[in-house]
Amino acid sequence: MTAFASLPATSGAYSQGPAVPKTIKVSQLNHYFGEGELRKQALHQNNLEVKRGEIVIMTGPSGSGKTTLLTLIGTLRTVQEGSLKVLGNELNGASRDEIVALRREMGFIFQAHNLFESLTAFQNVNMAAELADMERGLAKERIDYLLNRLGLGHRIHYKPKSLSGGQKQRVAIARGLVHSPKLVLADEPTAALDEHSGREVVTLFQELARDEGCTIIMVTHDNRILDVADRIVNMVDGYIRSDVAVHETSVICEFLRQFPLFSDLSTSTLTDIADKMMVQEAVAGDVIIRQGDPGELFYLIRSGQVDVIIDEDGAANKVAELGEGQYFGEAALLRDEPRNATIVARSKAVFYTLGKADFKDVLSRSKTFVDELRSVLASRT
Amino acid sequence: MKTPLAWKNLTHNKVRTAVALAGVGFAVILIFMQMGFKGAVRKTATQIYDALDFDLMLRSPSYLHLTEPRSFPRERVYQAASLPEIALAQPFYLGLSEWQAPEPDDAPLDQYSGDWRGIITIGVDPHAPAFRREDLREKSTLLTDPRFVLIDNRSKADFGPQNGKRFSEEDIGVETALGSGRVRIVGVVTLGTGLAANGACIANYDGFARACPWQPLDEINFGLLKLKPGVDPQAAKAQVQRLVAPMVAPNSMAPAASSTPADTEVLTRAEVNEREEYRWVVQTPLGKIFNLGVWVALFVGVAIVYQVLSTDIANMMGEYATLKAMGYPNRYLATVVLQQSVLLALVGYVPSIIISWGLYLFVGAQSGLPMVMTWQIAVTVLALAVVMCVLSGMAALRKLFQADPADLF
Repeated sequence: MTAFASLPATSGAYSQGPAVPKTIKVSQLNHYFGEGELRKQALHQNNLEVKRGEIVIMTGPSGSGKTTLLTLIGTLRTVQEGSLKVLGNELNGASRDEIVALRREMGFIFQAHNLFESLTAFQNVNMAAELADMERGLAKERIDYLLNRLGLGHRIHYKPKSLSGGQKQRVAIARGLVHSPKLVLADEPTAALDEHSGREVVTLFQELARDEGCTIIMVTHDNRILDVADRIVNMVDGYIRSDVAVHETSVICEFLRQFPLFSDLSTSTLTDIADKMMVQEAVAGDVIIRQGDPGELFYLIRSGQVDVIIDEDGAANKVAELGEGQYFGEAALLRDEPRNATIVARSKAVFYTLGKADFKDVLSRSKTFVDELRSVLASRT
Repeated sequence: MKTPLAWKNLTHNKVRTAVALAGVGFAVILIFMQMGFKGAVRKTATQIYDALDFDLMLRSPSYLHLTEPRSFPRERVYQAASLPEIALAQPFYLGLSEWQAPEPDDAPLDQYSGDWRGIITIGVDPHAPAFRREDLREKSTLLTDPRFVLIDNRSKADFGPQNGKRFSEEDIGVETALGSGRVRIVGVVTLGTGLAANGACIANYDGFARACPWQPLDEINFGLLKLKPGVDPQAAKAQVQRLVAPMVAPNSMAPAASSTPADTEVLTRAEVNEREEYRWVVQTPLGKIFNLGVWVALFVGVAIVYQVLSTDIANMMGEYATLKAMGYPNRYLATVVLQQSVLLALVGYVPSIIISWGLYLFVGAQSGLPMVMTWQIAVTVLALAVVMCVLSGMAALRKLFQADPADLF
C-alpha cells in the first residue's frame, strides 16, 4: 500500500487516474525578490500539479504571490529554487532558446491589452499567428472565427483607437488564443468586460480546454466566472493555502453525504472534510486495515473494490464487498476500539482517508451526532 | 508577407514621424551644405586650372596657391619647348590686381564711391589663348589692346556691374581702372574664382603687365606645356625635369649640371589638382571647418532621431514586452526598430536632396561659389544618413531590450 501523506484528496490527482499528462508540475518552488538584506521571499515551497485541459483559477489577496507564480510558469521570470516543469520542460536552468520556443506554445492575456495602435484588430491577432508560422488561409479563418466569437465580427479591421476598452481586451484575448496554445495564462481576462462578453470569453476557454486540450490558468477576482474552474488555487503570503479540484471535491461531498452521520452537514462542512482527506492507493491483495489493529483513519473508496473479512474463532469469513463511494473504518474511530474487521483490496484501488482527530472534530459539530451514530451502528450487522 | 510593423508604426503616428523626418531632413541638408561647401573649396582650387589647356605645368617651387603663384624665368618655357615630346609651350600670367568698380551711368555723383576690389588678373596670348573652352578662346581674340579686358560674370556685385547684380552684355564698353591704368570691358566670360578671390578678369600679356606692374613679363607665373599625341605625361615630365630643373645628387662628386637651386618644378595635371586640393582642404582651416560641420550635422541628426525612436519605444514598451512574452526574439524587435531607422533615413533623404539641390543653386548664385551636386556627394550623404539613423536606432535598442514581459502581469 502506498500512502501519499502530502497529496490531498481534493487535489483531484486521482480523479481521472494518474495517466493524464501534467501540463504543469511545480515542486518545492521558492522565489525571492531583492538582494542582500532587502531579499524577501515571495513564494514558499509551492507545490502544484495541473493536468492537461484543466481550467485553473488562482485567487488570493494582492501580494499573495499568485502573479509571481503565474509569471514563473509563463517563463517570464527565472526560476531560482525548486523545480517547475511546464509542457514537459524543466524551467530551472532552461536556456534562452528553450524558453523562447516554449513561449510560442503558450498564450498570454494580460490585464493591459497592449495592442499595437498602428495595427488593426486583425493584424494584432495575426502577429501571434505569424510567429506560430500558421498557414495564411488557416490563420485568417481562425482569426475571423475568434473575433466573431468574441463579438468583434464587425470590428475586425478597426484600429485600437476606434475600439472600446472591452473590445480591445477581447482582441488581446483572441491574440492569446489564435495559435492554439497548449497553455493559456490570463490575468483578469474578464475584468474590463460586461457580464455577457465575460461569459462568452470563459465559454470559449471551456471549449478550448475540452476540444483542444488547452490548459488555462487565470488570475481573477471575478466571482461570476468561478463556475468554469476545474481547480481553484488559493494563495496567501506566498503559500498555496488550498488547491482544490472543484469537481473532485463535489464528488467527495456527494459520497460523504451518503454516510448517514454526515447527511445533515452543510456543504461547507463537507468541503472542509474533503479538504482534510488524503489519498491512499492500493493494489489487489493489499491489506488496508487488519482486524485487531488500533484504528487511526476513516476510509472512503474513490475507486476499486475491497473485501470485508471478519476473523471469528480462527475462521476468516468474508462478510461484505464494498465499492466506489462506500466507506469503512469508522467504527474503530468512534468507539476507540481496535479494528473489528480486515479489509483487503480486491483490485487496484484508491482511497481518501480522514485522520482520527479530524474525524472526531467533524462529529463533535453535530449534537445529534453521537445518537445517530449509535443507531447507525446498531442497524449494522 | 509578414506584417510590416516598422512601416505601420511610422505611418500610424504621423506627427512623430514628421518630426523625425524633419530631424533627419535637417541633418541631411546640413550635411549636404557642408559637403557642398567643401566641394566648392576643392573646385575653387581647381576650376581655373580646369579651364586651362595643358598636360604639364611649370611653376615656381615656392608656389603657395592660385593667387600666390610666385614666378620663375620665362626661358624655362622655351627650354622645355625644345624637347621633341612638347607640342606647344606657353607662358601664362596670373596675379592679384586692383579693380575699381566702374561708375554706373545713372549714378548720382555723391553716391559713387569708386571702391577698389582685389581681382584675379589673367594674362593670355589672344592669338593662342591657353584655354580649353571654345567660348573663352573666341572671346580672348578680342584682347587686341592692352587696355581691353574680359570680365568674369561670376564676379561679385560690388565689382560694379551696370545692373547692380552681375556683369552682362550691357557692361561691354564700360571703362574703369585696373591697377594703375584705365581699361575697357570688351567681353563677358564665365570663369569662376571660388574662394580665392571675388572676381576675375582676363587681359593680354601687356594688359597684365599694366595691371601688375611689379612683375616683369620675363618672370612668368605658369608655363603650360601641351604634349604631342601618344606621349606619356610621366615620361615627358621626367624629360622636362631633367632639362629645366636638374636634381642635384647630394653626394655626387661630379659638378652639378646647374649650380643654382632649381627655380622651376614640373607637374602633371593630376599632381596640380592634387596639390591644390591638399592646400585648400587640408592646409587651410576651410576643409577642416566643413569636415567638422559634417560631424556636427551627424551628431544633431543622431540626437533627433534617437529622441524620436526612443520616445516611440517608450510609448510601446508594453506592446514590445508582449511580443517578447509571445516568443518573439530580441532579434525580431531589433529588426523592427532598425527598419524604422532605415525607413526614416530613406524617406527623409528624398526631399532633402531636392531642397539641397535648390540651396546649392541659390547659394551658388548668391555667393559665386561653385556648389555642385555630384553623385559622389549624393551617395556619400545617403550613406551617412543611413549610418546616422542606424546609430540612433542602435542607441534606442538598449531601451527596447529592457522591456520586461514579467512587468505585464
